[in-house]
Amino acid sequence: MARSTSKDTQALFQSLRSAYAATPTNLKIIDLYVMFAIFTALIQVVYMAIVGSFPFNSFLSGVLSCVGTAVLAVCLRIQVNKENKEFKDLPPERAFADFVLCNLVLHLVIMNFLG
Amino acid sequence: MAKLFVTLILLLPLLCNCFSSENPTDRRILVLLDDLGIKSSHSIFFRSLQSRGFELDFKLADDKKITLQRYGQYLYDGLILFSPTVERFGGSLDLSAVMDFVDSGHDLIVAADVSASDLIRDIATECGVDFDEDPAAMVIDHTSYVVSETEGDHTLIASDDFIQSDVILGSKKIEAPVLFQGIGHSLNAANNLVLKVLSASSSAYSAKPGAKLSSPPSLTGSAISLVSVVQARNNARILISGSLALFSNRFYRSDVQKAGSSTRHEKSGNEQFVTELSKWVFHERGHLKAVNVRHHKVGETDEPAMYRINDDLEYSIEIYEWSGKSWQPYVADDVQVQFYMMSPYVLKTLSTDQKGRYFTSFKVPDVYGVFQFKVEYQKLGYTSLSLSKQIPVRPFRHNEYERFITTAFPYYGASFSTMAGFFVFSVVYLYNK
Repeated sequence: MARSTSKDTQALFQSLRSAYAATPTNLKIIDLYVMFAIFTALIQVVYMAIVGSFPFNSFLSGVLSCVGTAVLAVCLRIQVNKENKEFKDLPPERAFADFVLCNLVLHLVIMNFLG
Repeated sequence: MAKLFVTLILLLPLLCNCFSSENPTDRRILVLLDDLGIKSSHSIFFRSLQSRGFELDFKLADDKKITLQRYGQYLYDGLILFSPTVERFGGSLDLSAVMDFVDSGHDLIVAADVSASDLIRDIATECGVDFDEDPAAMVIDHTSYVVSETEGDHTLIASDDFIQSDVILGSKKIEAPVLFQGIGHSLNAANNLVLKVLSASSSAYSAKPGAKLSSPPSLTGSAISLVSVVQARNNARILISGSLALFSNRFYRSDVQKAGSSTRHEKSGNEQFVTELSKWVFHERGHLKAVNVRHHKVGETDEPAMYRINDDLEYSIEIYEWSGKSWQPYVADDVQVQFYMMSPYVLKTLSTDQKGRYFTSFKVPDVYGVFQFKVEYQKLGYTSLSLSKQIPVRPFRHNEYERFITTAFPYYGASFSTMAGFFVFSVVYLYNK
């Protein structure tokens, strides 16, 4: 039983990896960017747990910048993905332009709130 | 002629040299006596008062023309009641008039004796002192009585159980014991305004002399107080003595030999005891005033209207003691100031420059609100000082914090790295084949 479970998980990972390899490169770049942003947010949360939340506005600003930009990148990925029927008629350039403008507004807000 | 009259009228206020806060020693004292023989039998005491500048007004206790005040103003600054047997005062004086006199800040000396009237006992009770209820009881002491040929019932006792206070009894030690013949009283232990100045020895008791005791006496031992003082919260001072003879010439001049001791003192301690005590009661000693309360930030001189948390400030106050003729600087090392809001956040002992100025500096605590600088000074025998000055304390304004907070550097770094990452990402995404 155990052997078949470990074999199953191995088979699962293999199929995931091969399926992922088939995604287009631009989507992989977006995924990489999201990983980077979430990782930075996680570091900040661990730091706050250790040191305490003294300049709480700075903490919120830092975490919001990471999480916000991750969310915007995920939206970009949804809109740009060719396999997604819902956004078939949306030009990918329009999606990217929205992404850039929203990020600009986000960073303006966090610069103000950073203190 | 009219001009002369007007200038004379204008000079009239200068003639008033009565009790005022700038000159706290009493000046005019009303002395009520049972009979005018007391005036001569206690003449040394009265003469010592008069030589210190007091104006004594002698009246019989039931004189019809006694008034303490006229048109709302008190005519006297102090009252001496040497009338232990008077049932009713003459004139407009009664128990409540005497109590109002004390409540308005004036001083009182009351001497009771054997067969003291209810009036005198009630005055003493109002002041916090309870005489023995038996009217014929006297203080008897079979081990501390005075050795003499005549008095055989041991009611004339010699006591040297004084209160330990240089302010009340003077700095010079009273060598000889004090002669006492009269009634004893007890103090309520819960009352912290009344002090036992002369107490009886532990073998004393209060009973009718010569009578056989059917039950143990109610007042015994050193719980019996022979002479007590009260300093009221408005700083009026009251002296209550169980013996009128304590003040008499006979006791002043007499020699003392206590039973059981071989030393014979040429002169009793009565004169020194009564003189020093009367100096204290009439505010010639131990009367403090606090002036010139100042506080400011370190480095500035004006008093700000508000402090900020974590400011450094300096507080100073000047305390003077009345020496009988002038204000002398008061020197002590236990004056404290509190920075108080519901409870003291800072409590510091003030340091002095020996010239009456007390100062300290401390940091405002990290709490904002409305604080008070409080000085509550209550030392045995001295007037109580109670000063408070209110000052608000505000928190930091938003531009008084440090510009870049060190603990927030990771967050600054994370935000900028996110922005850089976004820029790099957009370049890579756009130019990716």
